[in-house]
Amino acid sequence: MSRTSGPGLPVSDIGRLKEAGETRSLIRLLNSTDPRIQWQAAEALGTCGKMAVPLLLEALRSPSVPVRLGVTEALGMIRDPDALSPLVTVLDHDRSLEVRWAAVIALGEMGSAEAVPSVVPVLREPDRYLRFGAAITLGRLGWEPGDTAENAYLLIARQDWEQVRKLGAAAIPYLHELSRDRDPATREAIASVLGQIGDRHAQAACRNALRDRDPRVRWRAVLASMNCGLPSHDLPLMVAGRERTGPDPAAAALLNFLFLGIGYNYLGKWWGFPVFMTYMSVLVLAQLALGPFLPYLIAYPVTAVLGIHTYYLAERMSDF
Amino acid sequence: MLMLLDLIPRKKPDVDALTKKRDIPALIRALSFRDPSIQTAAIHALGDIGPEAVSPLLLALKKKNRYLRLGAIGALAEIRDAGAVPALSAMMNDPGSEVRWQAAIALGEMGSPEAVEPLLAGLEDPDKYVRHGSAISLAKNGYTPSHETGWAWYYAALQDWDKLRALKASALAPLQNLLRDTDRDVRVRAVRALGDIGERDAGPALIRSLSDADREVRWEAVLASRKCGVPPIYLPRGVYQRPRIKKNPLIAGFLNFMLPGLGYGYLGKWWGIMIFQIDITVTVWMFKAEGETNTYLVLFPLYFLLAVHAWYLARNMPEEPA
Repeated sequence: MSRTSGPGLPVSDIGRLKEAGETRSLIRLLNSTDPRIQWQAAEALGTCGKMAVPLLLEALRSPSVPVRLGVTEALGMIRDPDALSPLVTVLDHDRSLEVRWAAVIALGEMGSAEAVPSVVPVLREPDRYLRFGAAITLGRLGWEPGDTAENAYLLIARQDWEQVRKLGAAAIPYLHELSRDRDPATREAIASVLGQIGDRHAQAACRNALRDRDPRVRWRAVLASMNCGLPSHDLPLMVAGRERTGPDPAAAALLNFLFLGIGYNYLGKWWGFPVFMTYMSVLVLAQLALGPFLPYLIAYPVTAVLGIHTYYLAERMSDF
Repeated sequence: MLMLLDLIPRKKPDVDALTKKRDIPALIRALSFRDPSIQTAAIHALGDIGPEAVSPLLLALKKKNRYLRLGAIGALAEIRDAGAVPALSAMMNDPGSEVRWQAAIALGEMGSPEAVEPLLAGLEDPDKYVRHGSAISLAKNGYTPSHETGWAWYYAALQDWDKLRALKASALAPLQNLLRDTDRDVRVRAVRALGDIGERDAGPALIRSLSDADREVRWEAVLASRKCGVPPIYLPRGVYQRPRIKKNPLIAGFLNFMLPGLGYGYLGKWWGIMIFQIDITVTVWMFKAEGETNTYLVLFPLYFLLAVHAWYLARNMPEEPA
């Protein structure tokens, strides 16, 4: 499949750079602001052959993510064994998820079984893209899971939830471990599978999921907990123990106490700011007339009451 | 939600009295009243008046008020005057999606063969309501697609995913059109259907969806790309090109230097505004007690530190997961 050509730089120009062996120029184009040029440059670099590998390996240390991404893609296409170890380093240490993901896929493109020991641990990463990439690569390298744990990790990485469910209670520890995935949809799917397995050993994982930040995960965990034998009267307590994502009532109250109106603004009330400006104007005028302290003595009892009002207002804003 | 303009009192029109008087201009004005019961009553009244109201209603279609245009289209649909079809067809290009939807429904009421062409164009509208309205209206006008692609556009408008899957390659164009929809659920299901069809020709559209603004669309595009033969090495770059909502460290630092605290506010810290207010109070008092020069000598180094802190916070803020 050929990538879409962009209007920024004609494909023929990139082709000329490639024919002239201008590897450095092609690498620079990876940093183009036009994504289509990035695609074309990466593809051209991938067809430059082994002579481009030393420069590409050097560019793996670039601070630019698009450059490292394009270079990783190109190295995967060139399939030079010298790139194996640097790609493993990228997989283990790069700060960008996408570059690590590209590295794990590039290791699969290279077709060397030497990469397998570095790729298998990626099945346990807390990111579904990395796990999915590792599953593709391991499939390409002809790897077969050696035990239940590896099989469970592989199935979870492929998001083959039906097969995971068929593993039954044996899958629970691995589902529990990967329920720390950054993606709420994956955590929701894991909670759902735990409920379908319906084993008492899944209770710890269900307890965690009941306190999840995401409401869909919590709901799925409530349904799963019933099947896993968690007492239903414990569920509200656990859900209530979650990390709150809504506004902080104490912060809202403090803001309204000190700067009347800003607390309301913090709660999303558009009129909070006009209230604040009115309050400040009245306060300044009162200070000019009565001196600096007396207006505060009058204002603070009023703002304290409104601070309490904001506290209860924020509490009623449920983050379910 | 109550809009600010709704707070301005406006006299409620007496639609019954206006109907008895056959006061067409006043009834048309009543169409812009933001109370559905009054709008509906005015539409029915104008519908009862019949062809006499068509010309002023056609003029009302050119007004800027969206509610007026919506009501006028509704009234024209009740009158069913064939002369209104060209004007209603033109309304299928209105910038307001509700107006286009209403126009599609109205064209369905006209029973005119002339309505078919704009309704077919409506099947390609980026808005799901307009597409759905167009499909229903086409069926009302007795339209039957003559080829598989025509059926695919029709089923795409009705969001009949099973029928689209069964049409295989013929469904690619309408499914790719659905990837422009503003509703992420529609985009997710369209990407999933493209994956189930598994045609290699869907590859470029799926690569574009890898950088969709919605996380689930991106993930479904990854899964679908695999089924459509997109080389896996293309996937990371596709996802990398997604729109990112990341705070600019330089803006955070600049704000905190110029208006200490607001840089924190920009980063979503609720206490930023408190620091801002405390700074204003302290500055005013220091000005009074120490004079301008001494105040700035003390505060500027502090502002600089706060700016560096905000810059550092922004730089190290975790990004939303891919």
